[in-house]
Amino acid sequence: MRVIEPWVADPLQRFLAESSARLVLLTTSSGQVVAQHGFTRALDVMSAAALGAAIMASTDELGRITASGASRALSHQGPSRGVFLSGFDVPQGRWIGLVVYDHDSSLGLVRLFFDRLVGELTALAPVETPAREVLAADFENELNASLRSLFGR
Amino acid sequence: MSLVNFTTREITCKIVYYGPGRSGKTTNLQYIYGRVPEGRRGRMVSLATQSDRTLFFDFLPIDLGSISGFTTRFQLYTVPGQVYYNATRKLVLQGADGVVFVADSQARRYDDNVESLQNLQENLLAQGVDIRQLPLVYQYNKQDLPGDLILNPDELDDALNFRGVRSFGADCLHGQGVFETLKAISELVLQRLAAGSPTA
Repeated sequence: MRVIEPWVADPLQRFLAESSARLVLLTTSSGQVVAQHGFTRALDVMSAAALGAAIMASTDELGRITASGASRALSHQGPSRGVFLSGFDVPQGRWIGLVVYDHDSSLGLVRLFFDRLVGELTALAPVETPAREVLAADFENELNASLRSLFGR
Repeated sequence: MSLVNFTTREITCKIVYYGPGRSGKTTNLQYIYGRVPEGRRGRMVSLATQSDRTLFFDFLPIDLGSISGFTTRFQLYTVPGQVYYNATRKLVLQGADGVVFVADSQARRYDDNVESLQNLQENLLAQGVDIRQLPLVYQYNKQDLPGDLILNPDELDDALNFRGVRSFGADCLHGQGVFETLKAISELVLQRLAAGSPTA
């Protein structure tokens, strides 16, 4: 499990155990990964997060321009695996859950326990996260060194 | 908005390449993808039409390495440049930490560049972002074309660079100016982060 916000770890663990899903990602609405748990090594996590956020953003926008309202959840059922996508609000902003499940679970189970996960996250979320100094003053030298090593120049 | 993980000391930033259709936004990412060592980049995702025009976005995650003790990752996105796709441009622009405006240096594309820049300003404003506050650099692509077909960087600065920010002449197909542009926007984004902007 990898989490950016420690308070999401326990609810995420419970969700995966109870729903028997293969993996779950929590991302921001712009596709940055907040947490990942499950068989994430089998998945290009960052691409999945970017695509999931794009799908949710475009579906919400489509809902807005057709006056049909925002979509609460989306699902895709493939022959062996399914994908469940849902957006929800926490004090940190709008997050998206992306769940991959297979024959060990079902869309119904995933939805049921995802609702519970959202409830737990909403209850546990700290209201404020203080801004903190992030980078040292000499970061430009380190950035230059990193870019040189990255691009071989 | 930048995502900072204080526990694992990771920073993730989103940079969007913006500009008119066929100005070279996707080419920037393709060149970066081709030059960055495999272990330092993820898969490049391109959602394109059958004729290879960007339909939704291109996406390329790269690992900048350790900056001030933080593992720093940049997620590079392009937007579809064609006027028709403004709805998707708005979506991709959400949460951007910095923007690279890729202009087409050809004189005949002058109006397209101006229109795209105005569109960027409008789309940012719709999200409550003032273009004067956002890290921004300009890249004037296709400077390799014959001189009588293009405007030089000074002329393009006069037309587009109202903030007087850093700008780069470029030939993205062959890589000239690509890394310089990426380096400049990276510096601006990280400087802003270091200045204590709120983090998610």
